[in-house]
Amino acid sequence: MKRIFVDYKKCLACKACETACAVRHHPSGTLVGSLGDRKTEINVHVLGIEHEAFPLACRHCDPADCLNACPSGALGRDSETGAIFIDPTRCKACAMCAMVCSFDAISFKATHRAPFGRDVAHKCDLCIERTKSGGSPACVEACHSGALVYAEYDATRNSRAAKTLRTYLLGEGGVPPLVELYRELRRKEFARRRGSEE
Amino acid sequence: MKIVTAGTGMAAAEFVEQLRLEGFDGEIVMYGDEDYPPYSPCVIPFFLAGEPLDTVFWKGKDFYEKYRVTARLGEPVMEVDPERRIIHAADGKSESYDHLFFATGSHSRYPRPEWLATHGVFGFKNLTDMVAIDRYITEQHVTSAVVFGGGFIGVDAALALKARGLHVSLVHRNTRLLSQMTDEEGGQFATGRLAEKTGMDIRLLTTVEKISHTNGQLTSVRLSNGQEITTPLLILSVGVTPNSAPLWGDDQGVIVNEQMLADPCIYTAGDVAVTRHAVNGEPGIYANYPNAMRQARSAARHLLHGDGSYGGSYNTTVLRKHIDFPVISAGSFTGEAVTWQRDNVWRRVYLVDGMINGYIVIGDARISGYLYQHYLARTRVDGIIRKIISAPRHDGYYREMLGFASS
Repeated sequence: MKRIFVDYKKCLACKACETACAVRHHPSGTLVGSLGDRKTEINVHVLGIEHEAFPLACRHCDPADCLNACPSGALGRDSETGAIFIDPTRCKACAMCAMVCSFDAISFKATHRAPFGRDVAHKCDLCIERTKSGGSPACVEACHSGALVYAEYDATRNSRAAKTLRTYLLGEGGVPPLVELYRELRRKEFARRRGSEE
Repeated sequence: MKIVTAGTGMAAAEFVEQLRLEGFDGEIVMYGDEDYPPYSPCVIPFFLAGEPLDTVFWKGKDFYEKYRVTARLGEPVMEVDPERRIIHAADGKSESYDHLFFATGSHSRYPRPEWLATHGVFGFKNLTDMVAIDRYITEQHVTSAVVFGGGFIGVDAALALKARGLHVSLVHRNTRLLSQMTDEEGGQFATGRLAEKTGMDIRLLTTVEKISHTNGQLTSVRLSNGQEITTPLLILSVGVTPNSAPLWGDDQGVIVNEQMLADPCIYTAGDVAVTRHAVNGEPGIYANYPNAMRQARSAARHLLHGDGSYGGSYNTTVLRKHIDFPVISAGSFTGEAVTWQRDNVWRRVYLVDGMINGYIVIGDARISGYLYQHYLARTRVDGIIRKIISAPRHDGYYREMLGFASS
């Protein structure tokens, strides 16, 4: 099974992932249509903390606490991609799923897929239609810096663990130099804003 | 092997589904007191609020056919004879079993059962109640209601009726709504914000003492503080009682072991089962959906494979119905309290030995999953928890990880 991997040190906080997600999940399929629309669904959120940025979305855990907590039959797991998805026709926005999600990956809103005019839960669906046909989730495709990668779960975890150790011990293969430069400039800018220019 | 379930609720449905998914091919008979496929009690108030009935059948309307079940509907189990392995149903018939799954749930507790004879007085527990209330509201053109009881079910009822457009008066004897799932201060906060956000008429520290009717039709209720409210609809939601009498002889619930067995051939689960709390070990009825599912799956696994045990229950609860104002809690409200509040968001964590002993999160669900996972894992959080819960942008975990102060 493939999953979206996040390397937050490569995230430039450009929010291209958020934009791509909004367009992908909007009935118009266009940026113009999704802009200014209260029902636009954005299932990845770039959390900015000082100079760092975290693209946050559902991890599609296995086992998934949200799946076991949903009392309305709205949450399911796609057998092919392993994605946890929500059926908005069954969702009652009761927040049982959100109550147990340690990543705060589930939000509530009256989206375009909400059938009864009230809010429903929405979250990353791993762009199931795209990934089933061999593609990548829209956010990954839009990511310019390599912060988001769609890859096989076990293999990538193992290689990243080894790589991180190599980076730590030998200083090899860390963040690309240009991204490192950008991070340094941003860190200084935020330090200046805090009034503690180094 | 022949399996009989007493009850067609969520625990029984999950148990049956697990048996069939695991390849059990024997006979299954389900007895239930209502004439419906298994439904989700958490969802049924939405039917009253105007949403389609079909959405309550969370495992599908064709459940009995799909899982090859003989359904005896409208026939509650009245008595269990464990010696002879026989159940006696309400219609006088008997049925033998090799294993019984006893999941009869609970029923509304009524302060004055004779009030139900008055047209316009209802309980608020099962789908039969919802269908009757729905029909009554439509036929009588009801525009206002009184809900007596401000616990989880009472607030759930009041919010559903409010969402339907009724003017709702909520009468509760305590100092605050949701008194079991909040502490005093958290409950007061939630009560005040719920009143503001919904416009509900909340009457605290009083009870419904008397009802008045004309020709058997409810006209008004009188409260113990002397106030009178004119209303054609009274919902009674002052509490529930486990349906344990057919097996246990009383209504205190059925005590089970770690395999969910009450007897060598009787599994018990759901709102009728007395289980141990996973954290503090206290026995009790921990009636929520995730517990019922884990109990049913433990029972199914034990029946089919002879192994596995139930790890204990959690009293995690969330009320978020019809409005964007969640009230979430878990555990016990004792220990060192760490509190944070800003605008409509209120959070409190109780610490014992540096670990989360209980928590209340009101107004925004974020952070609650973090607290839930640490509560379950029994990790020490005393060094960081204040920073985590007091981040107004709900980014406390990430700030803590990076070593930044709160924004």
